[in-house]
Amino acid sequence: MSDPILSLRDLKLGFKTYEGLVEVLHGISLRIGRGEKVALVGESGSGKSVTARIILGLLQELKAARISGAIHFDGADLEKLSRRERQALRGTRMSMIFQDPTSSLNPVFPIHVQFHEVLRRMDRNLTQKQGMQRAISLLTDVSIPEPERVLQAYAFQLSGGMNQRVMIAMALANEPSLLIADEPGTALDVTVQAQTLHLMRDLVVRKGTSVLFISHNLGVVREFADRVYVIYKGRIVEHGPTDTLFSKPLHPYTKALMAAVPRITGGGIPDIAENSEAFLDPMIDHEVEVPA
Amino acid sequence: MIEKTAELVPVLEARNISKTFKAATHEVRALDGVNLSVARGECLAIVGESGSGKTTLANMLLGIYPPTTGEMLLDGALLPARRNLPLRRAIQLVQQNPLSSLNPRRTIGASLRLALDVHDIGTRQERKTRIAALLDEVGLPTEFASRYPSALSGGQRQRVAIARALACEPEILVLDEPTSALDVLVQARVLRLLDELRHRKALTYVFITHDLAVVRNIADRVAVFERGIMVEMADTETIFTNPGNAYTRSLIGAIPIITDEEEALRKTVLENKSAH
Repeated sequence: MSDPILSLRDLKLGFKTYEGLVEVLHGISLRIGRGEKVALVGESGSGKSVTARIILGLLQELKAARISGAIHFDGADLEKLSRRERQALRGTRMSMIFQDPTSSLNPVFPIHVQFHEVLRRMDRNLTQKQGMQRAISLLTDVSIPEPERVLQAYAFQLSGGMNQRVMIAMALANEPSLLIADEPGTALDVTVQAQTLHLMRDLVVRKGTSVLFISHNLGVVREFADRVYVIYKGRIVEHGPTDTLFSKPLHPYTKALMAAVPRITGGGIPDIAENSEAFLDPMIDHEVEVPA
Repeated sequence: MIEKTAELVPVLEARNISKTFKAATHEVRALDGVNLSVARGECLAIVGESGSGKTTLANMLLGIYPPTTGEMLLDGALLPARRNLPLRRAIQLVQQNPLSSLNPRRTIGASLRLALDVHDIGTRQERKTRIAALLDEVGLPTEFASRYPSALSGGQRQRVAIARALACEPEILVLDEPTSALDVLVQARVLRLLDELRHRKALTYVFITHDLAVVRNIADRVAVFERGIMVEMADTETIFTNPGNAYTRSLIGAIPIITDEEEALRKTVLENKSAH
């Protein structure tokens, strides 16, 4: 694939602590093509969320963080950008959706104020009225009935599913090239989660947005992503197209992950061995890597 | 699974129970006319989304508050609104998040001891050996007795929560989303432990969850709740192959799945609605 929107090459991260350097990422390489939906799957503590935060340039601000490796976004080297330049990217050319929509929205401002703030990042001269109109059309895109009413409301007055739609609309408001979704909808009920996920998928496909989808839920990943990276203890252990990975997982860790998911066809609770050494086996790549 | 031929004695019964919460301006009917019975040794799953009344039901089964109307029976005897110690001992709870259900300032041993102290089980020395036995039962080393919850992983903490519930030898465990906060590998191990314990100790489970895939693999029967009403109750096999209720079908339709066989099953379930 030529000219990916995002590429990480040998990304390493450590945190300086009183007990020395704690290594969190041991060299992650990953790429997302234009318009591609890529999932990063792993358990808690595997390094999924810190990877997202590095891409957004949030960890670079942290004094204790030691980052090395190359991060290219839309052809530009992110590490060469200044703090201000990185900040200018966020919310405009890359944006993020978090796990719990209700706590990611500001409880003391109505939705329309928060929308206006996002939209003004692209157009400093946006008027109140223009902002309202844009927001209404964006909320209509995520199938929110009565968008005018929702815009006047506060986050706590809306249901979790409604807030999630608002978050999706806001994240896509400035037509970013890359959307990072970190465990979206995990805090929601299953039926609501399924609905919003379908909605988000349709929308990013229509707009051609590239997505990095971070999740621990294999079922959700299978329905959403084109390609999957499996991360374990700060290393990518297996990577390939979603269909291949789910039908023929090869790495011992991926196999264990798949086996551990209870099936609705029954078969009892799987017998999962304790964390094994084999989980750290070398990476399995289902694709022949084309050198960039 | 329990033997189908075994005599199904209801150990816990709810007869037409309802619960209404009063607020200043309005009333909320959290649970409305629920009838259910749990047989000895069975695992009954209570399924529903937030606001369906699952937790209200659990709280009433545990005697935290009585139902507004209706009655509950344990071993055929009417349960009073305020339960004495032996009645409370019979039904124990495992909650979703062990980090908030275990006291962070108490060692694991002290947390387990409290249950024994409250219910006055055994002598000083016996309590010590009992704590070791309990940890062993849930697959934790005995040294953990001197540790604090913060020094344990999520799965280990949940094992402690299970051990504490087992400490006073209950007949019934109410499990409120016991594995929802855990990673998938850890979840499988904890579920397996729960399944083993039920068979080894002839326990009865009321398993509250929103995860139907888990239900399929651990429960004998399933009760589906929607906005305080029990909309369907059937054995697990029927729920998954031929659900009779539209809401149950929509729940099954929303489960994220990972194999083609599951996809096929889900498709049949969703298409079968004309059969009813």
